[in-house]
Amino acid sequence: MVLLNVDGIECRYGSVKVLESVSFSVKGGDFVGILGPNGSGKTTLLKSISRTLKPHKGTILLNKDDIYSLKNVEVAKQLAVVPQESNIGFSFSALDVVMMGRNPHITRFQMEGTKDLAVVRKAMTVTNTWQFANRPINELSGGEKQRVIIARALAQEPSILLLDEPLTHLDIINQLEIMDLVKDLCTKEKLVVLAVFHDLNLAARYCTSAMMLKEGKIFAAGDLSEVITSENIKGVFNVNAIVKKHLVSNSVFVIPLSPQKPPSAKRCAVHLICGAGTGTALMKILLDEGYSVTAGVLNVLDTDFETAQFLKIPVTTEAPFSPITEKTHNDNLTMISEASTVVLTSVPFGDGNLRNLEAAIVAVKQGIPTFIIEEVPIERRDFTGGKAKALLTKLKNEGAEFVKSKNELLSLLNVSVEKIKIAKEERDRLLNHLKPGEIHKETEIQGKDHRK
Amino acid sequence: MSSDETEITYFRRASRWKYIVILLIAALVAIIIVSLNVGYAQISFGKILAILGKQVPLLDSIVDSSLILPSEAAIILQIRLPRIIAGVVVGAALAASGVVYQGVFRNPMADSYVLGVSAGAACGASFSILFGAGFSFFGLRIVQVAAFVGALFAMFLVYNISRVGSRVPVTTLLLCGIAVNFFLYSIVALLEVIAGDELHAIVFWLIGGFSNVLWSDIWAVFPFIAVGISISYFYARSLNLLAMGEETAQHLGLNVERVKQTLLVLASLVTAAAVSLSGLVGFVGLMVPHVTRLVVGPDHRILFPASTMIGAIFLVICDALARVVATPFASTLELPVGIITMLFGAPFFILLFRKKKESYAL
Repeated sequence: MVLLNVDGIECRYGSVKVLESVSFSVKGGDFVGILGPNGSGKTTLLKSISRTLKPHKGTILLNKDDIYSLKNVEVAKQLAVVPQESNIGFSFSALDVVMMGRNPHITRFQMEGTKDLAVVRKAMTVTNTWQFANRPINELSGGEKQRVIIARALAQEPSILLLDEPLTHLDIINQLEIMDLVKDLCTKEKLVVLAVFHDLNLAARYCTSAMMLKEGKIFAAGDLSEVITSENIKGVFNVNAIVKKHLVSNSVFVIPLSPQKPPSAKRCAVHLICGAGTGTALMKILLDEGYSVTAGVLNVLDTDFETAQFLKIPVTTEAPFSPITEKTHNDNLTMISEASTVVLTSVPFGDGNLRNLEAAIVAVKQGIPTFIIEEVPIERRDFTGGKAKALLTKLKNEGAEFVKSKNELLSLLNVSVEKIKIAKEERDRLLNHLKPGEIHKETEIQGKDHRK
Repeated sequence: MSSDETEITYFRRASRWKYIVILLIAALVAIIIVSLNVGYAQISFGKILAILGKQVPLLDSIVDSSLILPSEAAIILQIRLPRIIAGVVVGAALAASGVVYQGVFRNPMADSYVLGVSAGAACGASFSILFGAGFSFFGLRIVQVAAFVGALFAMFLVYNISRVGSRVPVTTLLLCGIAVNFFLYSIVALLEVIAGDELHAIVFWLIGGFSNVLWSDIWAVFPFIAVGISISYFYARSLNLLAMGEETAQHLGLNVERVKQTLLVLASLVTAAAVSLSGLVGFVGLMVPHVTRLVVGPDHRILFPASTMIGAIFLVICDALARVVATPFASTLELPVGIITMLFGAPFFILLFRKKKESYAL
């Protein structure tokens, strides 16, 4: 049965539209997450449902009645709100605060009775707050206080619960406890829960369905797995994110990635020789630092390959679980020759990818600065009976530089980039100060066309 | 504490509240009788009780009144008693409205005069003292009528300036109250400057006191105060909800705007009536609610009645002090009670706060 039906509502603050043609309906047992960036209208939506802000257009039906034609008391019997933060001015006891939830059920001339106390006790027991019923509310911790507020909402005996970012100030265990509790009520008591979330992962973990708002409009709505997707997250939050199904909790989880820096910051090109996940972190770091990145040779389905695909990094690839062929090796060498630096990660070596070491040696011989990150000593990742170790030693003798960590690599890279930049500036400066005759000489060497 | 104990204490609290109220009523009666004994003419408690007993329909036949002089009866019934009852009425009114204002505004600085009622009354009173000498209004002194009208005018002004559509935001209300207060006080100051011989009367009225209070003055304001306080009492739980914040109160089923406006009008009416009777007795509307809250806690269902009683008791005691403090220096001089409320009230207030400040959160 549909409990709440929102139909084409539009809200404005002054002349600014904050919600536009928002429509949806929910029924008992639904746990709906309302998602979206700051200013997308999430809280406004909750406010208009809780009658704090009347929409300029559209209707909100609570059990087929227009919510704005009902009395406050009638609404409060069916709909409870848990605000983001409660600032309670006076030192009421936790029990007093929860008892206030009984207000819609008591007339002005009544006192609370045994039935009210029984309801309050139940609400406080399920929220695990009964043991500090007599403590003043403003002496409780953030988590305890928020649980008391939820108990107060439950004491209203509502069929709909609105939560406005209820976990903002809570630590992780309190977040989980409170969400588990709400989820439980939702499934057992067939409560409707509408909750605004900032944390996509919490939403993904508990909601049955979700709604993503963008600039006051519904961008996507429906089943959780249809709404929380990389595309939608990119579209609404403008953030690249990896969305996967978690193996243990069997819920969707989201890993947001830092926003990409603008391409104007691009530095030189770095070619990564990696594999088995050793290059994954580095790819992201280098891109963030403004380098353009290439990688190879990587086997298809390798973790580093997947990362590269996701980050849209050009890769020389080999078929899954296959040794590097002559052709791919040559493709890789072509890619390397276009790079200005080569980085070799602490990848394990077997006979299949030994050629990658040879590629690195070629790079050094071509005069491309080459760095080797040795986070794990070669002895522990050499599965070729010493061949890899020999090649690595050769690489070192040819002039490749060893670093201990990604950070060290990064500072070295940055310095070398600076050096190149300074050298370039120096040359330009010298060129400008050279005497006319020398410039002539210079042009003789450089431009054949000019001499003609 | 086990859970059953929690439940028992919860219900026991309601009966504890009743005891508190009964105790305070008993204290009030006792203090009234003691206070009747205070004054220049020495009249014993036996005589006081006999004089009072004579006024009660069924008791008058039993009471032996042969020893009572008519002058003594007149002092008690026509001079001291009206004055004390005025103290009870005004003290109760100011404390009750103070609780309401502090609750509605969620602001510990709020007192009975927050909406400009004091300045309005002062303005009206000053005008009438300067220009209305000799007039009367249905037998009431013109000062009282003018103060009442002035107070209601100020409240009306503040209320209408701050209104946004059908809503009255409390912050706007507070600020408007302050602005109107300053404006009207400037007029009072102006009147004081040009007052000449009447300056003494204006200053005395501004401090507040009960000298020369007649029964008719009390009966004129009593209905406003009694009705105002009685209706407000039924909004005690609403005040508790408002303490959670207006939005939350609305989510808990309260018709916030209507309740707020009803309470503000009632409290202003009560204050205006009290002020017209006594002048600007300061500090009661601010201090008594705070002190009471320290003792009985923040729940308005006990805070409101207890404050009302304590306000009455406090003002009766202060008035008794006002009558005797100056006697050693000049037998006919008596201080305005407004001086006493502030002179003794403020240090007491500070002392109490220093003692309990850890447990007091607002």
